[in-house]
Amino acid sequence: MSHTRSFSRARFARRAVTALLAIVVLGALACLIVQGVRLAALARDNATIAALAAGRDLPVAVDASARVLLARAHFLMVRDRLDEAHPLVELLARKGDPAQAAAGWYDLGNARLARALSHLERTQIDPAVPQVRLAKAAYRAALTLDPQFWDAKYNLDVALRLVRDFPEVERDVKEEPQEAPKRVWTDLPGLPKGLP
Amino acid sequence: MRCSTISRAARLVLRASFARAGARFAQRHSTAFALALLLAMPAAEASEVQLQAPRAFGYVVGDTLTLEADIRLDPGARLDPASLPQPRKVSSWLDLVSVEITPPLGAVPAGAYRLRMTYQSFFSALEPRSLEIPPWPLTIRDGEARRTLSVPAFRFVVSPLRELVPSHGGNPMALQPDILPAPAPLGPDMKKAGLSAAVAALAALGLALAQGWRPFASGRRPLAAAAREIQRRRAEETPQAYRDALVTLHRAFDASAGRRLLKEDLGAFLEEAPALAPEREDIERLFGASRTAFFGAGIPAARSELPYADLVALSGRLARAERQMPRAALQGTVEEAP
Repeated sequence: MSHTRSFSRARFARRAVTALLAIVVLGALACLIVQGVRLAALARDNATIAALAAGRDLPVAVDASARVLLARAHFLMVRDRLDEAHPLVELLARKGDPAQAAAGWYDLGNARLARALSHLERTQIDPAVPQVRLAKAAYRAALTLDPQFWDAKYNLDVALRLVRDFPEVERDVKEEPQEAPKRVWTDLPGLPKGLP
Repeated sequence: MRCSTISRAARLVLRASFARAGARFAQRHSTAFALALLLAMPAAEASEVQLQAPRAFGYVVGDTLTLEADIRLDPGARLDPASLPQPRKVSSWLDLVSVEITPPLGAVPAGAYRLRMTYQSFFSALEPRSLEIPPWPLTIRDGEARRTLSVPAFRFVVSPLRELVPSHGGNPMALQPDILPAPAPLGPDMKKAGLSAAVAALAALGLALAQGWRPFASGRRPLAAAAREIQRRRAEETPQAYRDALVTLHRAFDASAGRRLLKEDLGAFLEEAPALAPEREDIERLFGASRTAFFGAGIPAARSELPYADLVALSGRLARAERQMPRAALQGTVEEAP
């Protein structure tokens, strides 16, 4: 009699092991499917990024991933289509990927500043000033997302020296004239080209 | 030089005369003055703010500074949540990025708080210079009374990030390069997919072994092998097929028991292999039919005793029951005491 009982206990244990194994198989297969879907999406994204880098003018959906948006925005920036790139970077900033968003703002700042510099080389000051201001705003957005972003600090410094805009600090300077040395830099933008 | 000395002297004289006038005023209105002083003074002096300042030098454009203020309140005093600073643009070069207060300002008032304010400076210095984060007034309520407690100002020195004019020539307006869009790394997901595949494969292998699925069952589950053989030939309704089926099942029982099994030994065998016990009646019928077929009236009589269809069905049931048997018992190595 006890034999039968121990047998039924053994059978119960075997069934439990079988059920457990079946659950593990199903769970692992579900994970595999999820990973497969993710990998397929990533591979598709990478194909789009490679095509944009190769210079193909591929449109990008609004719900595309952050990397794809950055690739599209960069494609537009290097072709000087900044007004199309700007909303893409704003969209990218709302994707919740701070590294990609910081890269987007930084690249946009670079594109704006490069455009401003090319205006200044042709001594067109009026169109240059707003580009410098927009570049500064873009670098600030990048640095807000990543305060340790050294390239953004450097380029923001270039932009800030080009057009200085610290009214309250300048006022400070006027109040204590004997403390501050003569201002070398004015509010006017310009390329320092050495003494005449 | 002389001019400045004279003007300083004049100023001293002026200041002295003002002080005298003030004293006269105070004497004349001494009661009112004391009252005004009393009103201006807070009820208790215990509440205070102490600034845990970070380093005050060596900041470049884009750096963050975290000011921590330890706020100690009188018993019964409460910090007005509306007077806490909010993340905002403080000035053209200073952002207040985040404000945290611990413990959170909730229903339960605490005697001490720590206010953590993270600022980000965007001042691009041409030479080291001192800048100030302005003080922030906090409102303390003690019943009807209100007073202001100030988080003190903080001065720090910003430094230039780069040379004013490049000393080795070169373009002072040269920018750092763009961050190029990079493809998404597939490695982590590949690793996870590989891991899930390996786990699935291992668990499936374990399941196959536990269930005795082919090819993991070959030879080790003789009744299952016999059942497959019999199932394969079940369409043949010939006496030869019936005979072969009986032989096959006998061989399987022999293999399962690890010895030659006769009808008389069934009782002992079924104690060893209790998984087959529910089929005891049919197994006995099978052994009876086999005796009739080989040593008695022959196959037709045996077929009336145990029809071919029943034999086929029994072989299937035995194979299923065999799966419940522990593997050691199948090899006949265990001599279990009843």
